[in-house]
Amino acid sequence: MFLLLFQASGWFPNFAIFIGRFHPVLVHLPIGFLFIAALLEIGRRAGKIGVSESAISFILFWSSVSATFACIAGYLLSLGGGYDEKLLSDHQWQGIGVAAFAWIAWLVKSDRFGDKIPFGPAFYLPAFGLATILTMTAGHDGGSLTHGEGFLTQYTPEPFRSIAGMSPIQEKVTEIKPIENVEQAVVYRDIVQPILEMRCTQCHNANKQKGDLRLDELSLMQKGGESGPAFVAGKGSESDMVKRCLLDEEDDDRMPPKGKPQLTSAQITLISWWIDQGAPAEKKVSELKISDAVKPALASLGKNSTPDLAESKSKISPVLALKVPVADEKAIEALKKAGLIVNNLSHDQNLIEVSAVNAPQFGDSQMALLIPLAEQITWLKLGGTKITNAAMKEIAKLKNLNKLHLEHTGITDAGITNLKNLPYLEYINLVDTKVTDSGLKDIAVMKGLKSVYVWKSVVTDSAIGQVRKQYPGLVIVNGFNEAEVTQFLKAGDTTAKEDILPVKEK
Amino acid sequence: MEKLLKELQHADLQRQTRRHFLQSCGFGLGALGLGSLLSSCGTSSGNTPMSEAALMAKIPQFAPKAKRVIYIHMAGAPSQLELFDYKPELLKYHGKDCPAEFLEGKKFAFIQGVPKMLGPQSTFKQYGQSGAWMSDYVPYLQTVADEITFMKAMHTDQFNHAPAQLLMHTGSARLGRPSLGAWATYGLGSENQNLPGFIVLASGGQQPDAGKSVYGSGFLPSVYQGVQCRTGGDPVLYVSDPSGMNRDMRKQTIEAINEINRQTYEDVQDPEILTRISQYEMAFRMQMSVPEVMDVSKEPQFILDMYGVKPGEGTFAMNCLLARKLVENDVRFVQLFDWGWDGHGTSKDHNVEGGLRQKCRESDQPVAALIQDLKMRGLLEETLVIWGAEFGRTPMQENRNGLVMPYMGRDHHLDAFTMWMAGGGVKRGYSHGETDELGYYGTKDRVHVHDLQATILHLMGFNHEKFTYPFQGRNFRLTDTEGKVVKQVLA
Repeated sequence: MFLLLFQASGWFPNFAIFIGRFHPVLVHLPIGFLFIAALLEIGRRAGKIGVSESAISFILFWSSVSATFACIAGYLLSLGGGYDEKLLSDHQWQGIGVAAFAWIAWLVKSDRFGDKIPFGPAFYLPAFGLATILTMTAGHDGGSLTHGEGFLTQYTPEPFRSIAGMSPIQEKVTEIKPIENVEQAVVYRDIVQPILEMRCTQCHNANKQKGDLRLDELSLMQKGGESGPAFVAGKGSESDMVKRCLLDEEDDDRMPPKGKPQLTSAQITLISWWIDQGAPAEKKVSELKISDAVKPALASLGKNSTPDLAESKSKISPVLALKVPVADEKAIEALKKAGLIVNNLSHDQNLIEVSAVNAPQFGDSQMALLIPLAEQITWLKLGGTKITNAAMKEIAKLKNLNKLHLEHTGITDAGITNLKNLPYLEYINLVDTKVTDSGLKDIAVMKGLKSVYVWKSVVTDSAIGQVRKQYPGLVIVNGFNEAEVTQFLKAGDTTAKEDILPVKEK
Repeated sequence: MEKLLKELQHADLQRQTRRHFLQSCGFGLGALGLGSLLSSCGTSSGNTPMSEAALMAKIPQFAPKAKRVIYIHMAGAPSQLELFDYKPELLKYHGKDCPAEFLEGKKFAFIQGVPKMLGPQSTFKQYGQSGAWMSDYVPYLQTVADEITFMKAMHTDQFNHAPAQLLMHTGSARLGRPSLGAWATYGLGSENQNLPGFIVLASGGQQPDAGKSVYGSGFLPSVYQGVQCRTGGDPVLYVSDPSGMNRDMRKQTIEAINEINRQTYEDVQDPEILTRISQYEMAFRMQMSVPEVMDVSKEPQFILDMYGVKPGEGTFAMNCLLARKLVENDVRFVQLFDWGWDGHGTSKDHNVEGGLRQKCRESDQPVAALIQDLKMRGLLEETLVIWGAEFGRTPMQENRNGLVMPYMGRDHHLDAFTMWMAGGGVKRGYSHGETDELGYYGTKDRVHVHDLQATILHLMGFNHEKFTYPFQGRNFRLTDTEGKVVKQVLA
């Protein structure tokens, strides 16, 4: 009746859930009460302890009351949904049984009603016993509902495991072992399956089937789950399991879900390639067509590579992951007053970018303004300003510097050499400066350096050639001079056949 | 000054409706009197106007790969089948009837009945270490093949120029949404305080079919709209002072006008007034900076030769050179439009044979030169160059009104076309996506217009799903409810 009343009013859902959440609290009261009553009853009957029947009856009464409230709370909790229906219904009726039989056991013994029930005492022990047994089964199902089925016995040790006929414990795969001979590896068994086991099967296996999907067996992958087959043989990029890995991390359909360890792009490439090739169960790498895109991913599986690290290192500058303290507001204000643009690289980073694009008069005397921000300045643009070599000593103190624009300034070798110890510097623009070959050779030793621009400086092509040979990872870009432009212009002459089609006016 | 103030008071009075009157009944009348007293005493400056803040350099959501963008739009849509999407099979079908499966349930702008297939009109080869397929129509682009990422399975929803251009630039085929450049300046502001953050340069004799809306600000404040500059003569009309007006006088005039506008803003709180104030200030600064940046006469001759530019010409080549100069001066977004790529086969200029070849002859060299020039100045790493059109062209020959066209031509095609990007955080020497053997439909790694937009925003440091602007009761974004970042093209 009062449930109906609740339902009629709008605040019912929240209130129901509020009460419902007390189920796990309430439910332990009848369990404890009933067991203590049963123990006392056994002790009393065995003549071991002196306890009055009324004491046991008193405990039974409170068992019944608490069991009833636990039932109501449980029902309200179940309205929220999201439970295995069969298990829920079992648990519900067993719980109601506990309350009902506890009430019967109490009634037939009570002073007030006991006499009015025919053959009352005969019901006492059966009802009491049933209530106790149902407490155990309902408790077990309740545990399964909360923690998942098999929670209790998941880690059953041997030899009990084999005796009970259970499958061996599933080892959680934490890393993929390198493959001895990639050419001879069976693609599904040696490449695809280990990836799935590491990243997917925790939620898609025999015991737990999120979205009704299992990824632990090939045939079951093909069968798929709620949203259809996990893959379509021959169409990697259109297969659900590949598409979901490429969704935005914020997307609800993204797999693995946000917060879980993700597949690397090489792993996605491999799975997609395997599906493209028809998702064969037995074929070896050497039996399939290997496209250029797959080669690096396959190579990464071999013994001598650390694939994912190499990949991520080359892509993202390590400096961008640095956590530095928030920049000093006053120092920023001072820079802004000097006409510089000062901004964080992004909302999540304290690293900052400083640009003098609006301050062509910026010069050596103002360089000291940068020093209070030495930890934060990551990108610095001083191109076209009045700075000279003297400024380079200050720049050398910006230890997290990543990109440095010095184009169209009076910098020479003597200034450049100061930069050698900046660990994160990746980009230097020296276009239209007085830097020479020796300056280039000086900075080429820097380990993190990726690109240097030397057009219109004094650096010669022969020196660039030497440095390139010595440091193949370093990109040195020079530009066109007059002769090279003439060369560039020939591109049009050589290929364009002078064949403006004879135009027929129609 | 006095006369202007009187005018202001007059305008003020006209604006006083009953509601305003009731609103300001309490102390408003007194304040009005006091206000006019104070303003005549010249208490003006103090708080920074909101408009300036609106255009100041701002912080992206994550560290960007592309600080600036040059977007080259070939309005009218060049044929991918003559430039980048090599389909030898199509040659075999040349002159044969189009298979029925290509026509069922499809709509075309002009094709009727059963058209004939049209083989490629150019010869293709692979170029660069990446082996990019390009035709003899673009001999210069071949020299920078390894700088480029091609997207060969682009697709769109619109088969007419104006709506397709709107979709490409504003994310919606209907009018009223902000353009990509407007979103970029809204999100990132402008670095060079003397130049607009979003500059538009057009060539080819006509404006894009969708008009100014393709670089408009939509529902964003109008400070973010693209500023179109002319390429010949005065870059911005009437930007230079008339004779007899010196710079100090101009400065005083603008200060007076802005002061009055500021007072009006305080009264009516219309953000468009702030736009107007900042435009006046910008215009004043532009009087110096724009002629300087748009003046190519100081460029060395070999650079002019590289682009194929003669000073004083308002050509596409000139616009490419200007685009380089603008990004060199930290302009955020430079939008180039070149009209005349609509190769239906209807006339000598509009076809996929001589006409397209001629358009390529005018644009291929400057585009390649632009990439080369950006690279040698160290700008390409941080500048995203985008090349493309609103859609592609059909593998079938156009047959409008059931007639045979006088020249080889192709109709508008929305299921497959090629775009490319270079620099600013995209892969070098890479080709993404494939079309079927006749180039009709993308068979692998298709990229929708919204996916491209999501990718461009990603490169500029924005999550396209979180980069929104509230308008008419909901949050709007460039990609509306669609779009996935094309991660495969990211370097």
